[in-house]
Amino acid sequence: MTPDNSVFLVLSFEGPDKYSMAGGLGMRVTQLSHALAKKGFPTHLLFVGDPHMPARDYRMGGRLLLHRWCQWVSQYYPTGVYEGEEAKLYDFNESLPHFILEQIARPAFSAGKLLVVLGEEWHTAELMCRLSDLLHDEGLRNRAVLFWNANNTMSFHRINWGRLAFTNTITTVSKYMKHLMWDLGVNAHVIPNGIPSAVLQKVDEGDVARVRNCLKKDLILCKVARWDPDKGWNAALEATAALKRAGLKVVLLARGGIEPHGQEVLHNASRLGLRVSDAWAGAEGREACLSAIARAADSDVVNIRSHLDLDSLRVLYRASHAVLANSGREPFGLVGLEAMASGGVAFTGATGEDYAIHKRNCVVHETGGSWEIVSNLLYLQDHPEEAERMRRAARHSARLFTWEKVVENLVSKVEQHARNQGSLTGIARAEPKALETRVLVAAGRAA
Amino acid sequence: MARHVVLYVVVHQPRRLKLPAQPIPPGARPRDIARCLFDEELNRHYFQKAASNCYHPATALFRRLADEGLCLSIGFSFSILRQAQAWDQELMARFQDLVAHPNVELVGVEPYHSFIPLIDLPHFVKRMQWARDNLHKIFGQRPQVTDTTEMMMSDAIYVALEKAGFRGALMDGRPWVMEWREPSHIYHGCGNLKLLTRHTRLSDDVGYRFSNRGWSGWPLMADAYAHWIKETAGDVVLLAWDYETFGEHHARETGIFEFLAHLPGELSKRGVDFLTPSQALDLYADRAYHLPLPPWGCTWAGEGGLEFFLGNASQQAGFRLMLSAYNKALLTGNKTLIDLALWLAQSDNLHTIQWDGRSGSEAEVSAYFTPGEWWQKLGAGGILREMQQVYANFLKAMDCLP
Repeated sequence: MTPDNSVFLVLSFEGPDKYSMAGGLGMRVTQLSHALAKKGFPTHLLFVGDPHMPARDYRMGGRLLLHRWCQWVSQYYPTGVYEGEEAKLYDFNESLPHFILEQIARPAFSAGKLLVVLGEEWHTAELMCRLSDLLHDEGLRNRAVLFWNANNTMSFHRINWGRLAFTNTITTVSKYMKHLMWDLGVNAHVIPNGIPSAVLQKVDEGDVARVRNCLKKDLILCKVARWDPDKGWNAALEATAALKRAGLKVVLLARGGIEPHGQEVLHNASRLGLRVSDAWAGAEGREACLSAIARAADSDVVNIRSHLDLDSLRVLYRASHAVLANSGREPFGLVGLEAMASGGVAFTGATGEDYAIHKRNCVVHETGGSWEIVSNLLYLQDHPEEAERMRRAARHSARLFTWEKVVENLVSKVEQHARNQGSLTGIARAEPKALETRVLVAAGRAA
Repeated sequence: MARHVVLYVVVHQPRRLKLPAQPIPPGARPRDIARCLFDEELNRHYFQKAASNCYHPATALFRRLADEGLCLSIGFSFSILRQAQAWDQELMARFQDLVAHPNVELVGVEPYHSFIPLIDLPHFVKRMQWARDNLHKIFGQRPQVTDTTEMMMSDAIYVALEKAGFRGALMDGRPWVMEWREPSHIYHGCGNLKLLTRHTRLSDDVGYRFSNRGWSGWPLMADAYAHWIKETAGDVVLLAWDYETFGEHHARETGIFEFLAHLPGELSKRGVDFLTPSQALDLYADRAYHLPLPPWGCTWAGEGGLEFFLGNASQQAGFRLMLSAYNKALLTGNKTLIDLALWLAQSDNLHTIQWDGRSGSEAEVSAYFTPGEWWQKLGAGGILREMQQVYANFLKAMDCLP
């Protein structure tokens, strides 16, 4: 498979528009489609787009084409992608299969190319089945590879698993998810999530020092997650309180979401004797963010109420003694991986992460209890050289999960399936390199 | 022995509902509401199929036969005219050309093929007048004789049609309606409006039974059929069919076009002449007989009673939803919504679910008119549920207009 003989289509409710960005899915498909296009693959990203933006939008020199779908429905639901979800889902399922067939599949097949369709999340499950059926009816099914991916277990009860597994190749983002899905009679292929390579850039140590100096704490903890009981907020607070009771100066930098569980978490913080302050950055950017945190430095818990861009997050991850990615249940912990890429020490949750090896590149919890957070923090405080080694190892591990690497993995799995279903016969093949060239390359590697 | 025959054909395609029901966003504009209610892609598909199998070849044949002396009366629902205008201008021109022929008489039809004659008689009167005016704009002919929806007639509908200004109307001459009377005479109800009554058996020989190999009359040839017509007691035999009888209900391979092509010659041989409905009234109106009309209504569908449309619980629920949709739309005073409610009141929406809880030939006919796509996607229960949901969605949409 090469960019000359294949076309990718990514299907998702969420997408790159502000309107379409509700959770991690929007970021995932944006970065995935960019990575595919960056590799040179003609890529379509079809999502529930902002109703006021163009329906078709070329990006990356034309290699990436955004299709904003359901716009006529979305105009009645201005809040965002999931408002009017059922109405949008109907439009997705009913109108897309023929559009894809006529506007994307047939032109690709006419040009002798393989079509690779990547459907994301439960919203696209029915659509992927219908698309497969339609291609089958047209005698074109074996010219396309259809992968449907689960990022979490949301609305699994609405999926017809037998039909989906028969018509599509099912993938997921972690072994944890794969094992969960076994109970549904599905043997999913694991293709991990990715991070942008920009996260791996060196963090400005001046900024890191500035955070540490202005907070003046023995221990800085950081946690970025939705306010959700699964995310382990209460354990994080209990650990913070325990450390405070032990006489340590400790702060938890907390960035939650808009969920109501946040009220319970903050109430618990007060109940545990922690002083909570809100930090509002008046403007976008790292400078405003760090200043806002500095203003709340006296607190035990800094409740960051403003959006944190990636730059600011990376500084906080690096400056912290622990980034608490301690979810009780985590399909794929992106925060932990981003923290590792930034040179932070990630404390990952009890379900395990495919990228995490305890005390090699991060701290892996076994129980999700606050005592584990406390004991591991105290251990690292006593062994700063261990912490430094883990930070280096973490960055090394994270390099394996950039979108570039993930796309390589994805393409190889797609190719494997394409070969297996006989889809590679008939597509334009890349010119094979001359034998001498291959020998030379191999020799060069050996040298 | 009949001396005259009147041929009437009605051209209609429903504006099919979109199933499964599409949720209507709150505050949706009427145009977007319509988009959620009706499946125009499916409509286009069935229209194009019918156009290819029937409308084009049948119209060409009727046009040729009209040149040779055949008299024809033809009715169009606005449902089919809307589709032809949108998707096949050439066909539209052919229809206009056919109607312009001196041997062809344009007959009125309830414009949306709806149940408005059962729902709101005063509005029905206006709709029939509207249809007459608009048919005149399209075809240059102002109908004097009219059909309704599915040839529905009752004592009350009769009064409404007379009030709408028509000279004559068509109705089905079912034995239970006619009692001891022959359908091959001109009748009138409680007023001056004249009635041409369809010869049910002879019409259905072609309309339903023509391609039925199990029927004792199969294969039906034009000479035999002309003989039956000639032998019919009375003055004038009204034969009335769906236009789609020719090429769609009975495929070309059944010989239906050849049958039609030979029928005028065979009738002529036997001294039976064609008349248009108005010509029949000119000739026989002076000796029109009184026909007491059923107060509960009759139709040309099924066994001739309205139970064909209202006979099972799903149909009754559907009809109640039609009533609610129409009356709630009236309360909004919004003309576009009232118009949408009239489309939702198409009789086809109850015709297509007659099969629920029934079996036999009528249920088979009903199931035949239910789109195959619905059977495939939804099954029987799903069709009934989703059809009701369309109305529920429309009712809800009227709560939150922009």
